[in-house]
Amino acid sequence: MKSPFAYQSRPRPLQLASPGAAVAYLGAIAVVAFLYSNPLVLVAAGVAAVGAGLLAGARRAVELALKMGLSLAVLVVVVNALVVNRGETVVARLGDWPLFGPVNVTFEAIVAALSMGLRAAVVLVLGAVYSACVDPDRVLRALRPLARRSALTATLVSRLVPVAAADAARLRDAARLRGPGAAEVGKAPLARRLLAGSLDRAVDVAATLELRGYSLDAPRPRSRSSRSRYDRRFCAVAVFLLLAAIAGKALGADDSQTYPAVEIGLGPATVALSALVALSGLAPLRRNPKRRRQPADGTKTSLYGPKSSRRPGSREVARV
Amino acid sequence: MSELAIRRGAAPALAVRGLGYAYPHAARPALEDVSLEVAPGEFVLLAGRSASGKSTLLKAACGLVPHFHGGEIEGEVRVADLDAIAAGPGELAAAVGYVAQDPETQVVSTTVAAEIELPLEMRGDEPADRARAVEEVALALAIPHLLSRTVDTLSGGELQRVALAAALVTRPRLILLDEPTSQLDPVAGDELIWLLRRLNEEWGVAVLLAEHRLERCLAAADRVVAMEAGRLSFDGVPAEFLVWASDSDPALETPAARLFSLAGIDPLPVGVRAARQTLRGMGVAHPPHIASRRVSDPHPQVPVLQAEGLWVELDRGDDPRDVLKGIDLTIRRGERVALMGRNGAGKSTLLRTAAGLHEPVAGKLSVDSIALLTQNPSDYLVRERVGDELPGDEGMAALRVVGLEGKVDADPRDLSGGERQRLALAIALAGRMDGDELPDLVALDEPTRGMDHARKGELVKLIEALASSVAFVTHGVTKATGAAVVVATHDVEFASEFADRVVLLGDGVVIADGPMPEILSGGWYFATEVARVLDLPEVVTPEQGAAVLRKGAP
Repeated sequence: MKSPFAYQSRPRPLQLASPGAAVAYLGAIAVVAFLYSNPLVLVAAGVAAVGAGLLAGARRAVELALKMGLSLAVLVVVVNALVVNRGETVVARLGDWPLFGPVNVTFEAIVAALSMGLRAAVVLVLGAVYSACVDPDRVLRALRPLARRSALTATLVSRLVPVAAADAARLRDAARLRGPGAAEVGKAPLARRLLAGSLDRAVDVAATLELRGYSLDAPRPRSRSSRSRYDRRFCAVAVFLLLAAIAGKALGADDSQTYPAVEIGLGPATVALSALVALSGLAPLRRNPKRRRQPADGTKTSLYGPKSSRRPGSREVARV
Repeated sequence: MSELAIRRGAAPALAVRGLGYAYPHAARPALEDVSLEVAPGEFVLLAGRSASGKSTLLKAACGLVPHFHGGEIEGEVRVADLDAIAAGPGELAAAVGYVAQDPETQVVSTTVAAEIELPLEMRGDEPADRARAVEEVALALAIPHLLSRTVDTLSGGELQRVALAAALVTRPRLILLDEPTSQLDPVAGDELIWLLRRLNEEWGVAVLLAEHRLERCLAAADRVVAMEAGRLSFDGVPAEFLVWASDSDPALETPAARLFSLAGIDPLPVGVRAARQTLRGMGVAHPPHIASRRVSDPHPQVPVLQAEGLWVELDRGDDPRDVLKGIDLTIRRGERVALMGRNGAGKSTLLRTAAGLHEPVAGKLSVDSIALLTQNPSDYLVRERVGDELPGDEGMAALRVVGLEGKVDADPRDLSGGERQRLALAIALAGRMDGDELPDLVALDEPTRGMDHARKGELVKLIEALASSVAFVTHGVTKATGAAVVVATHDVEFASEFADRVVLLGDGVVIADGPMPEILSGGWYFATEVARVLDLPEVVTPEQGAAVLRKGAP
């Protein structure tokens, strides 16, 4: 079964954009998530990440990343609540615990952890969208002139990961199909077998790369232009987001604190920045082509013009 | 030599002289004193049993031997006048393309277009040249619609075409193919062979093709080279090869040639068309029909697998899709069933559902006990001693069934391919037997991939032993000790040797179900070569055909 995080080619703007533009766009949202601790801005970054993924058709990747991110957020909240005793509002006194000492769960520690968990979830979703929507071949091609050996390693890894996943699934099936009288397969023999199989696979893939001429020191060709008509849009949104994030910092949009008491800034600058960040998730929106206007008299048109105007045997040039 | 001279074919596409090679730490050489020349634009078929040196010769011709595998080499290998022993595979890539048996390991990019473009990019071609070459090779192989797809969404046949496109995109003078049809259904396999022939004729590419199923490609070849134990044992035109094989190595005979040989007809035919022409010339275009005899004795009163309106949905990561669409099927003890159909028809899914690896979304499926051997027997082998895989009495009973009771202390890696397959089957059987009584159903999924004729013969014997039944009546019910054996296979000739019943699947539904001679004589792709030659109902094997011809000969 194919991983939801595996790249899937779709005729959507994010997939069609050049890797640089796509990385700039997704990276700009990630920068906002790292720069800001205000929960409203973080939620807006999350909305943007989820929106971008859904509009790019990566629904399953987004769903899975959200599940993982929220699980991680819950874990962070639990650990932070037990470990950090700072904050004025104690919501539970759990007494003395070995190693931990007195454990007081505070509202402030929970909010601080939520903020950290939210940031981690946003980054996970952005990572999932990148993985499912940005063509690794184009990324590697862009990297190859800069770091040839690293690109080779990355190529091998990017190919071997899905192959190893398929091998692991096959080995698990074979383990389930063993008769009850055969020796049980523990995790260690299975892992050993998977590793041995992966090494064999790596040799095969390396042989294929050799045959494709990967080791040749050929003159570097010019890269085929990988620009798309969506590049400007994504680059513009990325620049705009970064400028807005910097301006927002200057205007106090990240005005919030968790200790000693929670104070979340919800001033105009925060609300405006959050709205802009959330709206940036619409960048991968695909614009439907304009419909050809139907003539008032109801005559049908074709690429060759109104049917009535064509003489039998005449030939006209299509205008696109 | 100038590139123009090479393109015009001044030098042989491949010249091998006195080639000897041994893999590192190998007990004996894989190649010994091999000399061979392939002319530009020639289509050469490389025949021979497993481990005869075919793959090693192909790897030497593309530079993987010795550059990638190491070992000791002597002699000379020249590809389009390049010294293949001095030059590496990368330098040879412009002159020779290589397609291996498993297409999974031959793709290194994520999308089809990037995969095909990679060799040109490595060579330093300009973007415009690359775009044109990719487009042209995609058109030649009829895959332009695949260019934007990711490689993990392709079927085996599509993947094999993409691998071929990546090998051809540099317009090499020679293309080497190592059993490229072994994972393809008869339709895709035939398409690939005739595609190669067309490229060979239109582009002038020399082809060196190693294949076990000779009946599939002999008619397309200009010349046949046979190998045995690392040496060339025959080199000549296909018609002469058939005469040689008939005398020296009958395992390499094609079914049509065996049919003529048994019927005492000359010359031996290189394909269906030649066979029909010969028969027409002899005035036996419509030989009389002799009804075939059912060879097995199934026990219709003991069903072991019953499927009613079975629907199975699989999600391969894109969209969930119905793979089985309302299958109705009953299989009984003692039956030997060939489950056939195109790649993706649902054969493996049916077996995997019966074994409990998939859950049906609708319908009923009942099977009491089943042992399933999947396509890769090595997946079952995780320990370093046979006895450790199968401990105790139950393990020993399973080893006895497959005839490996004498190999308890062996390392599975030291067993032959056939023995490893039998060991994997024993692992699936262990604990599912009642004493020496087999489980109700033994299922094998594509067990003949990469097998030569001799090993297929051993497998037929094993299947017969598994299904051989001793029927006895107890409490008014007929009981049999043999299992029902179901084999999912693309190999029509193999199916004709072991099966008494064929179930043909098409896009998730049963499209034909009946006695083997009836099903394998009633079509074009899912029909044996003998059936295609004679076109008589229920005549599928050379022996049956020869009996008909002898009776009807003028």
